[in-house]
This record gives sequence, C-alpha cells and structure tokens, in this order.
Amino acid sequence: MNNNKKVIIIPCSGIGKPIGTVSRETAYEVIENLAKDKAETVCLAALTSGDEDTIKKVKDNYVITLDGCARRCAQKNVEQYGKTPDKSHMILKYAAINPDKKPKGLIDIGDSGRALVDTIAGTVAKDVEDLTKNKKVTEKENNN
Amino acid sequence: MDNKISDKTETENKRKKVGIVSCGGEELPEGSISRLATLDVLLKRKPFDTTTICLPLYIAGGEGDRMFAKNYPTITVDGCEKLCAKKATEKFSGKVTHSINVKDFIKEDEKVINKRNLNDKEKEIAGRVADEIEKNVDKILKEGQV
Repeated sequence: MNNNKKVIIIPCSGIGKPIGTVSRETAYEVIENLAKDKAETVCLAALTSGDEDTIKKVKDNYVITLDGCARRCAQKNVEQYGKTPDKSHMILKYAAINPDKKPKGLIDIGDSGRALVDTIAGTVAKDVEDLTKNKKVTEKENNN
Repeated sequence: MDNKISDKTETENKRKKVGIVSCGGEELPEGSISRLATLDVLLKRKPFDTTTICLPLYIAGGEGDRMFAKNYPTITVDGCEKLCAKKATEKFSGKVTHSINVKDFIKEDEKVINKRNLNDKEKEIAGRVADEIEKNVDKILKEGQV
C-alpha cells in the first residue's frame, strides 16, 4: 500500500434536490475541516466529460463517493473507469435514519441540514482515517 | 421557493422550457458560482421556463436522461476552461444552444476563494452570470427555439 495516497471524496453533483447539497457540503466539511491534509475532491462533471487529469487522480488514490439519491451518479461515474470506490455512502439513508436532521432548502440547507452534514461528515472522516492508515474500511454499503 | 425544481405541476411540466446544465464544479469556487447562478434562474428568475438535469446522469442514467439536449434547447454553465458541462452535453446528449463560462464574468481585480459560503463579491459575480443565463433564456424563448 502506498501511504502517500490521498482520499478523493466525490459528492454527486445533485443540483435539483436539497439532498444533493447535503452531499456536497459533507464533502467540503471533510476536506476543509475534518481531514484537511488527507482528503480532497474532484469535479464529478470532469469525470463525466472524460478529463484525463481527473481520471488519473481517481485511479491513483483512494475514493469515497457520496450519492444523494438511488441513481448513484458519483459511484457509477467512478466505476466506468474500472475503479471501485473504497467506500460508497448513500446520503438518503442517513437522512432517513435522522428524521430530525432535515435539509431546509436547495441553496441554504439550514441548521437541521447542517446537523445532518456534521453527522455524515464524522463518518466519512473516520473512513479517511482508516484508509490512510491502510485499515480496511467496513463492507461497502448496499442501500438499494 | 427553494425546493421546487422537482415539484412542478404536470401543467407546468408540459410548458416548453429551456434546459440549463451547470457543471458540478465541486473542486473550484467558480463551480459553486456556476451552481448558484443556475439555481437563481431555475428557482427565482425563470421557474416556469427552465429545467435542469444532474450532469453525471448522462453516464449514470438511462436513454431518457441522455435525450435532455434533444428535448430542450440547452444552455450550459461552466466554471472553468475545461467546459465539462458543454463537452459532456455535446458528447452524450446533443448540441448546446448557448455556452457560458463563469471565468468570463470575473473581472481582473476580482478574486474568488470560497467553494461554500460564498462572500458578497462571489454572490455578485453569480448574479452577473445569472443575468447572462436569463438573457439567453429570454432570447431562446423569443426566437421560438423551444
């Protein structure tokens, strides 16, 4: 295992639903605060459009995908390049088990949405820690 | 007002609309400006005349999703010179009617730094981009391209 690997956290680009905003905010919370030196993100659209630099970064590092809905755009866009994400999170699942933490809107998810972000970000940050310590993360979630 | 993209009524959905596709742009402040400008038009300025799609659905979705640019005259909004929204739309879906790059709306003395919690300057730039999107939505509607 290469300890210099970073963890690339890829949120879905969900633009039409607040849960997409939660996905993106979770990624930012991890890369900007909780695991600043170990994690970063890439533009999912760059994977969709086939940008070579982005594809290489995804292939060369650990990947965690955060999908807002069952269509799993982030996970599928990674898999199309032959890479299986090291961990895939379904944000809807976290919303379902935390009904008191509901995102308010698309642009501003509100305090309750931010509480949901904090909950998920803590879990994702733990994954980053495990991956960078070469620990095997728990079985990939299956939330279909 | 903030939650209505997917909740429009059946009557509204039958209206002729202009598609707006924003790059995800998660990696760059300009991507967040692109999304904010796009949402401003979708939710506030032209809610009944516009629609959108999550761009990665061109790959993750089905044939119906890839019909987007054939079903709607489409404006793409990109955050950088890679033009991912434009390229992906033209590669998987169809010809783009108008393409906008956020970088063209950032003045030389303006710096954008935030990917979230955009500051007043970044919101002002998003407003200029939204003006450009709105102008082109109106143009497309006026020219009867829908």
